[in-house]
Amino acid sequence: MNVRATLGGAFAALAVLIIGWQAGTAASHPATATTASGSTGGSGTSGSAGSGTFAGSGSASGSGTSDSTTGSSSAGSGSGLKDGSYTGQSADTRFGAVQVAITVSGGSITDVQAVHLTDRDQRSVSISNRAAPVLRQEAIQAQSAQIQTVSGATYTSEGYITSLQSALDQAR
Amino acid sequence: MPTRVFTTMGTVVSLRTDEPLADVVVDWVRETFDRFDAQFSLYRDDSEISRLAAGDLRLGDTSDTFRRTYADALEWRSATSGLFTPHRPDGVIDLSGIVKAAAIADAGTILDTAVTGDWILNCGGDVLMRSSAPTAVGITDPHAPGRIATALTVAAPRRAVASSGSAERGEHIWGVATGIAQATVVADDIVMADVLATAIVAGGTELLDTLTMTHRIDALVIAPDGAISATPGIRLADPSFTTGVPEPADQK
Repeated sequence: MNVRATLGGAFAALAVLIIGWQAGTAASHPATATTASGSTGGSGTSGSAGSGTFAGSGSASGSGTSDSTTGSSSAGSGSGLKDGSYTGQSADTRFGAVQVAITVSGGSITDVQAVHLTDRDQRSVSISNRAAPVLRQEAIQAQSAQIQTVSGATYTSEGYITSLQSALDQAR
Repeated sequence: MPTRVFTTMGTVVSLRTDEPLADVVVDWVRETFDRFDAQFSLYRDDSEISRLAAGDLRLGDTSDTFRRTYADALEWRSATSGLFTPHRPDGVIDLSGIVKAAAIADAGTILDTAVTGDWILNCGGDVLMRSSAPTAVGITDPHAPGRIATALTVAAPRRAVASSGSAERGEHIWGVATGIAQATVVADDIVMADVLATAIVAGGTELLDTLTMTHRIDALVIAPDGAISATPGIRLADPSFTTGVPEPADQK
């Protein structure tokens, strides 16, 4: 198996997990606060972030062994996610073993890393700097004093007139 | 911040500075954009690129600036596996995907030398700045361009922000969008930011993952369903601040 195919398989495996994990995350957001304050109680319990979503993805085949929390946790803001680093269960996929760690900062997921990932030949692959889901910031829409400028898909001269950038320019 | 606004390249440039700008500097910046437009616009029959497309000019007879820009674009085509391309499907050389960013970069060089304080240059939604403090940049909602979906902060050495949307068909994205409605790239360099934002919209998540490993960029993407994802380097702006931009209803 050449390296490209191996990596491709690894990416595919991780993509499956992350997609499932995203779906799980989206679904569990409203419930996260309940989980954190209610059932788990202790500080930095990691199961809610990791194992629940793996189960939701449906791709884990049940080999999960480790379920650990690393780093310290502190109270998150608003979203119900506690700051800290969380490591999910190891999951066997047909592409190899995958374990995902997330970092929560300021109540938002700021990092997702495959901390242990092996291909079918049991070689490990590490992936970082991937995009992870973040929460929308609807609240900014009407109140954005500190926003200095606006980036978006290119607007035309006509489109500018109704753009937020135009409003910003006129406000100064 | 004093703000100067002018029209060029079919869009609008907003230039904000700490201190009032001398007219001569604004003119200099404006002329930079106009010069690129006059040279590279396929909408102008008399532009260098139009004369090349029409067969009135051979590539070997084009200006140094033209060939350098074309060479840059070809390098970006290689870096993006062809998802960014300086050619139209009919084979005509079309540098519109890189010229605006190149003009912004040149204008930035002028501002770096001619302005003492901070500045923010926004051309049609692509941003280059020199800022002594982290700067909040709103990211428009691709489904409601008059609103923002989120905001991120940019701090040195990052100084360029470019966004590309799947709605920009017919411009410079020929690929099929793959689950990304809008991609925003933060980089040290505006050309890199602009080209890679374009490529990510065309190439989807797989290319995004590759590019974030091979290039010094941070990226924030918005899916067709509105879901937002960001790479670890993206720092979202604090949503708790208040005042400033008028309510959407006041934007008329």
